[in-house]
Amino acid sequence: MSRASVAGGIRRRTLIKTAAAAGILQVSSPFILKARAADTVKIGLCNPLTGTYAAVGKNELAGCKLAIEQINAKGGILGKQAELLVEDSTSGDAGTAVQKARKLIDRDGISFLLGNINSALALAQAQVSNEKGILHIVPGGHTDAITGATCHWNVFRVCNTTQMEANAVAGQLISSAGKKWYYITPDYAFGHTLQAGLEKACTKLGGEKVGADLTPLGTTDFSSYLIKAQAANPDIIIFLVQGDDMINALKQAVQFGLNQKVHLAGAQQELEPLEGLPPEARIGTWVFEWYWNQPNVPHVAEFVDAIKKETGRVPTARTWFGFTSTWSCALAAQAAGALDAVKMAKALEGMKLPPEIGLMPDQPFFRAEDHQLIGDLYVGTAQAQGTAEDDLFKVTQVVKGTDAAPPPAETGCKLTWPA
Amino acid sequence: MTQLIVFNIFNGLIVGAFYALMALGLSLILNLSGVINFAHGGFLAIGAYIAYTLMPYIGFWGGLIVAPFLTAILGLIVERLLIRRLYGRDPLYSLLLTFGLAYIFEDVTRLIWGAQSVPFQVPAILTTPLSTDLFFLTGYRLFMVALVAVAVAALFVILRKTRLGMRIRAGTHDLETVSALGVNVRVLRNLNFGLGIYLAGLAGVLAAGQLGLQPTIGTSLIMPSFVAIIVGGLGSLTGTLLGGLLIGVASGIATIYVPSATEAIMYVIMGLVLLVRPRGLLGEEGRLH
Repeated sequence: MSRASVAGGIRRRTLIKTAAAAGILQVSSPFILKARAADTVKIGLCNPLTGTYAAVGKNELAGCKLAIEQINAKGGILGKQAELLVEDSTSGDAGTAVQKARKLIDRDGISFLLGNINSALALAQAQVSNEKGILHIVPGGHTDAITGATCHWNVFRVCNTTQMEANAVAGQLISSAGKKWYYITPDYAFGHTLQAGLEKACTKLGGEKVGADLTPLGTTDFSSYLIKAQAANPDIIIFLVQGDDMINALKQAVQFGLNQKVHLAGAQQELEPLEGLPPEARIGTWVFEWYWNQPNVPHVAEFVDAIKKETGRVPTARTWFGFTSTWSCALAAQAAGALDAVKMAKALEGMKLPPEIGLMPDQPFFRAEDHQLIGDLYVGTAQAQGTAEDDLFKVTQVVKGTDAAPPPAETGCKLTWPA
Repeated sequence: MTQLIVFNIFNGLIVGAFYALMALGLSLILNLSGVINFAHGGFLAIGAYIAYTLMPYIGFWGGLIVAPFLTAILGLIVERLLIRRLYGRDPLYSLLLTFGLAYIFEDVTRLIWGAQSVPFQVPAILTTPLSTDLFFLTGYRLFMVALVAVAVAALFVILRKTRLGMRIRAGTHDLETVSALGVNVRVLRNLNFGLGIYLAGLAGVLAAGQLGLQPTIGTSLIMPSFVAIIVGGLGSLTGTLLGGLLIGVASGIATIYVPSATEAIMYVIMGLVLLVRPRGLLGEEGRLH
């Protein structure tokens, strides 16, 4: 036996191949199978359940499941039981997401498609649903194009556009923290449009950009970016990274004591990352898209209790996205009186969500011109601990979606309907 | 500007020291047993989660001491039950096995501790910056570097001065002869694997102190260690250490000029090293064909 074979015979090429495979490990993932019942109305959810967006994906799923239960308890969709089919789209592999969306449509015969959290995957899936003529609701993919330049007659979106979030928070940031902004932005569609939106809103209010860094998705060490940001001497460091990246960035910024020198803030913030941060790092000014602690808004408490019973935790904006999106399918079918996609899309245009589904001070509605849901945005500050467990955000201002959303003419959306 | 560069070089050394800690464990196992341990990141995550679970009872320091040992014990068991069966076969077998294990570890942590990040807190005394200008020098980061230095020094002492270490080194060069001389190679490989996994567990606890702790923490940290090994050269622990520091500094400096390329720069360096000096900076000639 040769020496190499005793030692296992590792070669450089093998190691390099290994390294390449390690990259694949981050994007590939297992899938979920569900039992199929006969003669049901099928709603297909193609959303991340593994990878970077696994946590938020599972929360959207919990919202969808609750909505399905409620829909069926109230007699289903057009008299038939509603059924949720779930596929793991992965967090970043557009090929897998598209393939699974096609499978849901072609093989499972879904009437509605839901997804995706990753903006790029949402855009890819929208192309598929449009080609197949299936009503598609995007619960939580934020990039402007979904209801902007690449909008489709069959695609609706529940979460806000990045421009809406930027407009909602910009005023408060300028007045409370200062005019010189430094951006730490994730290097993909969502980050680019969110930064562009903030720059626009900031310039309008007399602020300026003193620097910006694009960070690769999945960055763990933000120290070098923070050193650079600090050197530019800004009033505010704007964190646009999301999820685990947000946790890494904020945790390191607070350990560096940057929160005592400059204001740390951003646009979109969610309960999931705040829960993952140690209390001292729950700081900054942000926008929440929905918040569970709204004591004066009817039906919110019941929704919170129902979700808590299922998952043991309070609902997050993600849970609400999933819940509202699924209910919107049922409402569309009910209003159209048939499962015809064109009729249902027409019915959704301008539709106001009932209070027990909208769960906001102002009733959210789907804007007819671009199919964007226009709801309230919650501007406020993160807090170490509020009045109750999981009360990690203090809402200081509720901004109406009609004030935050750019007029339809500015979105670049032109809907073309099938002949 | 000069200040920015100096800051980023020092900062890069800190980051690189951490890469090296992860890579050393991988390198140990690879050198002796020829196993590319894909599940290293999984062990790392489990080490961190064990510390997180134990912290309410034994505190951060207790967790830092106990968790890596428990992880190492898990490593010994995995080696004994699974990995041992594949020695001597084509390395692709153990590669596939550890690849699968990486998935299993990630999903098991997700099942036990949830998909969402959990708050992992370190003592406040460690997270305070030592000066306002050099704010990136927190007690925690210096502590981390010191710990890496101690771990590296201890590792070198073990490898050079103890009977076990000398056998590991001898086995790295010629396992067959070592075996013929009456050394129990099975035990040797088992302990060596445990030592490597101990380092993974230690890296996990340290990482969780400044990053979010979620099931994917291992996969997101493991790539730089592979790069560090290739750049430093197979078969050389000093090379691995050097490789880690080099890519740490390089990605720090990249931030100044091309901020979006902090990750890409590591692979560029790897590519350059492979083109110019395929065996890596300090790699042994014989290992790299």
